[in-house]
Amino acid sequence: MLLEMKHLNIEFHNRTIPETVVHDLNLAIKEGEMIGIVGESGSGKTMTALAIAGLLPRHGMQKSGEIQFQNTDLLHCDRKKLRSIQGKDITMVFQEPMTSLNPVKKIGWQVEECLRVHTDLTKSERYQKAVTALADVELKEPEKIYHMYPHQLSGGMRQRVMIAAAIVSNPQLLIADEITTALDVTIQAQIVKLLKKINKLQNTAILFISHDLSLVGRICDRVIVMKDGYMVEEGPTDQIYLHAKEEYTKKLIAAIPKCEKIQL
Amino acid sequence: MKQFFKQNHKTDNSIRQMLRKRKSPMLITGIVMTSIVLLFVLIGLIVTPYDSEAMDATSKLAGVSWKHLMGCDNFGRDILSRVMKGSATTLFIAMGTVLIGIAFGIVIGAIAGYFGGLADEVLMRMNDAALAFPSILLALVLISLFGTGRYNIILALGIAFVPSFARIVRSEFIKQREMDYIRQAELIGVHPFRIMFVHMLPNSARVLVSSLLIGFNNAVLAEAGLSFLGIGVQPPDASLGRMLSEAQAYLFSRPGYALCVGGTLIFIVLGFSFLGEGISEDAKG
Repeated sequence: MLLEMKHLNIEFHNRTIPETVVHDLNLAIKEGEMIGIVGESGSGKTMTALAIAGLLPRHGMQKSGEIQFQNTDLLHCDRKKLRSIQGKDITMVFQEPMTSLNPVKKIGWQVEECLRVHTDLTKSERYQKAVTALADVELKEPEKIYHMYPHQLSGGMRQRVMIAAAIVSNPQLLIADEITTALDVTIQAQIVKLLKKINKLQNTAILFISHDLSLVGRICDRVIVMKDGYMVEEGPTDQIYLHAKEEYTKKLIAAIPKCEKIQL
Repeated sequence: MKQFFKQNHKTDNSIRQMLRKRKSPMLITGIVMTSIVLLFVLIGLIVTPYDSEAMDATSKLAGVSWKHLMGCDNFGRDILSRVMKGSATTLFIAMGTVLIGIAFGIVIGAIAGYFGGLADEVLMRMNDAALAFPSILLALVLISLFGTGRYNIILALGIAFVPSFARIVRSEFIKQREMDYIRQAELIGVHPFRIMFVHMLPNSARVLVSSLLIGFNNAVLAEAGLSFLGIGVQPPDASLGRMLSEAQAYLFSRPGYALCVGGTLIFIVLGFSFLGEGISEDAKG
């Protein structure tokens, strides 16, 4: 088991009434598995992802339970230990490609940053790895893009750069938090295919968070459905899509738009 | 090799584009005036028309002439030569002041802005306490502790300038702390200090440069003020403030003396503030 989450509870205390955003969540991710979390806005998907990535705010909240990763409890270990795992073994790609890149640094520099922090590779080795990663995410002319600035790239290209920065250190777990939401449909399909390819080639486990059930159904081995901080249902993709047990899951699946001929 | 040239060509192009785009008249005026000042001072460091400390009893308080372009002071020293030397002293002190101010200001502001919470509270309350003193009075107190002399002035003014820089840096860092690219950097396990100084600081460069120029102006004026009061640069060293205080005795008999020195001071300050304004204007649009 790559990652085991037991009884995760996340509670915000920065309002007058404490608000629980994740209730008693159990989750296990195997090596090389593609697992999807679906749910509406505010269902606690992103909070779960942030908890795994160690990015929850330090103040004003209470976290309980444990997240075991390589014999380390990510929820309670000290920051130095956490930093040594972040970016090396666990990486994450965010939703918004337009603001996720530092505007004053070159693309290559940002892709390399992970290696610069976690490894002792020389400059030319880092360059090689970064260019390879840029090529892996199917960007054309990676050497040219290496020397470009973020504002010179389109949204889809930036999201590819973000993925390149996330896979350059060969992580064991990649968290993709709504990475296709800000992109248009044709690019969405390409990015999803790309994730599948990375999953196959590098055997990286991917936690794919989305509210788009059709995308999740297309690539994930296992699906978790969340609502209001609770896990509603969990199971292999086929089982969820064809024989959903819970009423909420059935409704979600029924809400997937179907392509039918429209009579005008 | 081929690739190197290709790249070089590209950066060259982008610089040219930048120059073509930026045409704010204020910026151009600022650049021209500042260049004149710097040239003037640089020449003054190498050669001055006369020895700035040589006295000539025969030309005491001489008026403007071809021999002495700005006339002579009460000891018969050539004012132009002294203005050149004095500007150099003033600029040197202002530069030192701003460097001390910005170095400590960046560190304090960055820590307060990035970490927030208790660190922010403690540092900013101390900052507020320091800001409550007018900076020239604070510098006065510090000088009375350290003693006079150009390096002590730099230290005193530098300390007095730290709080205002710390504030600017802090607000910039608070703005950036919530940005996705900083979260991304946190995510890949970058050390907080590396995030502050490698990821965030370059993004604040524009704001910092224009506030640095404004701070520079204030430092020029503060140094002139201290020297005018007689606690700044000590004679026989020339400084613009010192010369102004000497000139005020002859304000009516030889107004040219005060006008020349004051005019130079105004020219320096105006040039740098045009430059600062121009840069911040460009940053906006």
